[in-house]
Amino acid sequence: MTAFSFNTTTTLAKWCLILMLSVPVIAGTFGAVFPAMGYFPAIGETQFGLHVFATLFDTPALWQMVGLSLFTGLLSTLLAVAGALVLLAGFYHLRWLQTIQRLLSPLLVLPHAAAAMALLFVLSPSGMILRLVTSLSSNESIVPTSWWFPYDSEGISVMIALALKELPFIMLMALSVLSQPQTEKKVAGYYRIGAALGYSNIAVFFQLILPVLYPQIRLPILAVLVFATSSVEISMLLGPNSPNTLAVSVLYWFNHIDLSMRMLGSAAALLQVVVSGVAVGIFIAVERVIAVFGSHQRLSGKRHSADLWVKSVAYSIVSAYCLLIVAIIYSVVMWSVAQYWAFPNLVPDGFTFLHWQTATASLTLPLVNTLQLALAVGITSVAMVLLTLESLSNTRSSRSVIDNVLPYTLFLPLFVPGVAFLYGLVWLQQMFIGDAIWVNTFIAHLVYVLPYVYISLAVSYKKFDMRYVHVALGLGKTPAQVFFKVKLPLMFPPIAVAFALALAISFSQYLPTILPSGGALPTLTTEAVASVSGSSQRLSAVYVILLAGLPLIGFALAWYLPRVVFTPHRKKTNIRDKRHTHGA
Amino acid sequence: MSKQWLTRTQYAVVMALLVSALLVSAKSHGDTVRFHAWGGSAQVNGYLQWVAEQLEEQGITLQHVKLADTSDAVSRVLAEKAGGNLSNGSVDLIWINGENFAAMKKHGLLQPNWVSSLPNFALTNPSINPAMVTDFGEPTQGMEAPWGKASMVFYYRENHLSNAKVAQPTTIAELLAFAEALPGRFTYPLPNDYLGISFLKYAAVALNPKHRDVFYKPVSQQALRTITPSLWAYLDKLHPLMWRQGEYMVRQASQLQRLVDAGELALSFSFTAAEIPSAVERFDLPPDIRTYAMQDGSLANVHFIGIVFNSPHKETAKQVINFMLSPLAQSQKKKLAVWGDDTVLDIALLNVEQQALFTSNETHPSAIPPDSSSPLIAEPHSSWSDALRQVWFERYGARY
Repeated sequence: MTAFSFNTTTTLAKWCLILMLSVPVIAGTFGAVFPAMGYFPAIGETQFGLHVFATLFDTPALWQMVGLSLFTGLLSTLLAVAGALVLLAGFYHLRWLQTIQRLLSPLLVLPHAAAAMALLFVLSPSGMILRLVTSLSSNESIVPTSWWFPYDSEGISVMIALALKELPFIMLMALSVLSQPQTEKKVAGYYRIGAALGYSNIAVFFQLILPVLYPQIRLPILAVLVFATSSVEISMLLGPNSPNTLAVSVLYWFNHIDLSMRMLGSAAALLQVVVSGVAVGIFIAVERVIAVFGSHQRLSGKRHSADLWVKSVAYSIVSAYCLLIVAIIYSVVMWSVAQYWAFPNLVPDGFTFLHWQTATASLTLPLVNTLQLALAVGITSVAMVLLTLESLSNTRSSRSVIDNVLPYTLFLPLFVPGVAFLYGLVWLQQMFIGDAIWVNTFIAHLVYVLPYVYISLAVSYKKFDMRYVHVALGLGKTPAQVFFKVKLPLMFPPIAVAFALALAISFSQYLPTILPSGGALPTLTTEAVASVSGSSQRLSAVYVILLAGLPLIGFALAWYLPRVVFTPHRKKTNIRDKRHTHGA
Repeated sequence: MSKQWLTRTQYAVVMALLVSALLVSAKSHGDTVRFHAWGGSAQVNGYLQWVAEQLEEQGITLQHVKLADTSDAVSRVLAEKAGGNLSNGSVDLIWINGENFAAMKKHGLLQPNWVSSLPNFALTNPSINPAMVTDFGEPTQGMEAPWGKASMVFYYRENHLSNAKVAQPTTIAELLAFAEALPGRFTYPLPNDYLGISFLKYAAVALNPKHRDVFYKPVSQQALRTITPSLWAYLDKLHPLMWRQGEYMVRQASQLQRLVDAGELALSFSFTAAEIPSAVERFDLPPDIRTYAMQDGSLANVHFIGIVFNSPHKETAKQVINFMLSPLAQSQKKKLAVWGDDTVLDIALLNVEQQALFTSNETHPSAIPPDSSSPLIAEPHSSWSDALRQVWFERYGARY
């Protein structure tokens, strides 16, 4: 392979990546604009106009839905960010964060639908917590009738569930920034300087490190915010229905048997984009206020930032998560093998594998579909992202327009709510690709997986020690040889993690599976969500375990394989062993 | 370094082979008949798996596409028709009745005039059994074949009720008294759900014994004005006494069973009587569950299987349905341990061997007593569902 053709390949990959991210999202959004403007030839509506929006704004309780979306999305994100920062401030200098991150990983890898299901097992009126409280405090054997979780009309349940799910993700993002060598050195220096000037570690974090860290995690945080205002699974499973959030209504209108409701759904989907935009606007305003307050604080010269308070909150968050995760694991495992389990007993009356048998009896097809999609999406996305990053690192001296556009396209799928563009995408796919169910679903998954793979690999690419490249090039290797023989082998561990991440994200997709495939491609997640609508709590528990287990296996392999297979040290021993056998 | 790279290339090759093998295996499901049916019940799913195994022996592959909501498949077919897909649809068979059928019929989404060509259809004795060719007052026109029969039953937690010294309600009026005695222990699903709208129909019919006949004609404004006052008066009193004070109502019927299992509800209802003892057997309901029918009438209906107009596998689909109407498949479905869905076949038309398939001495403390009888209420005309739902939402707010 000549240097020229390698460069062409990488540039091509970059273009593919940008097209892959932008075309489905933009085209899908346009697919929603036409029906919203009254143009829906499929049912004979060809009159452009604003009448669909007029109907939308006449919908009773519309503003309540919008309010609920804003409230749950904004407050959950603010709580999650605040919680993550408090954890970082409280524990960074103690070097406990890796442990905490590992502790949080069950909630990180659990798909949103499964997380909501898991919370139901713990927090609902007959859940683990109330069982514990009731069995310790009274002789009552009847489930209480008034309890706030779930379905409260204020949306507190949804808000808390979202916050619990978002915090580990924000932590992951922050930690990956903080573990970049340059940042790590800088941060260590700040702690030393701060300590020398008499600032407490927590004050150093908020006054010196946060201003460096925050700009780098801001984009992922905003993406989380958009997701939280527009996500469907958690509000569908835990939210009120008098009414629910706007995103759930969009889904409801799109699935309505009366096709003309799709026009209303499209208009509502566009309103959803505006609502998510407003949420981002409010969030930025809150940021500003805090920034002003923060700079006053910095200039005040105070050596402590409510240290005790921060510490106790940090410890409470960690213990709350511990309690929650232990309770989730315990109750999910127990329910999956439970016979009868009367309230408020802490242990089921007996055990059975019936539910596992029922679930696994019809699991082959969904499992094969899940793995096929995930492997194909994982390999494609990792290859595309690696080649793109390579292209970017080669053209660093002469950055073209396209290189500046790339970071924004990356976040496009995360900023345009899924409910808004996925229906438009399905419509367009039906028109242009036809009934290629597998390909359509593959594309929809890829759109969601690519950004995360990019974010996770870009960090490791930045960390890569360029001296290896310079030495190899100096020894006369072509860029292609350097890429394949130097970079890839050295970057195997982060590549494995990115691949596992890709698998985990593909595993968890619900809407991007059910919509393009029309349900003809059952995966573990679609089966699990269908089981929530089913009548067996025990079967749902089995699905939660399967949904959590699959990505965990992926991550475990990603952490374990590089250590076993690709350590230079082990390599040497292997060669020596081989020589030895040859000799013998 | 180069040696190490070799192993990695090998890895990549193995991975690529693995993926392509999986892709090829995916292609081979091309010729299967896809049956889109609600997938929320372990019993139904298990039965359909048995059906698929039986059909496999005849060289037919049946895939059960598990739906969370049947209307998902209806809108899928509608979208295909709108998109010009007239002969290569993704839905072959669909399990429907009532409004979904009315909608599909209205939009021409079902293949007409094939049912009478099925050899086993004659066993349902349609000439004296109009329910086999009428779906919620709508003639089926050979678009769908009957599959099973259901009537509404109620079930309760005996321990909970006897501890509270409350008897199970046997009329619509007693239900309100029950809710007063045990507030928060009963609810019904939103009218979007078939069981939710069925409850409203039951209540409307039971509360208007003098106006029965209006329910069997297409709905009119006047008819609505006649029957709604008593219904609203009743529901206005009932809602605050329901689970979560009626502020949250479940979206799907199956959640009722979970809430009874969790101990949150003490009384609930279902359209498949046999699902209750079977759920008890599977530990999904506690053993103190008892099933009974209301004395002021039980809503009853037939559910059907239709062939979609653009199915590419219509002939195989007919073979599938013919098998599902066979005495073997129908008797398997009727077994309590399997699903317990009542047969649509006229037992009198079967030979002795076939009749023997249906005799059983299964009894279960949680099952509806075999000697229990209550008047059946035929399904009102299908236009009533939409009308009742609409006025309900107008009165109690848009709840999705």
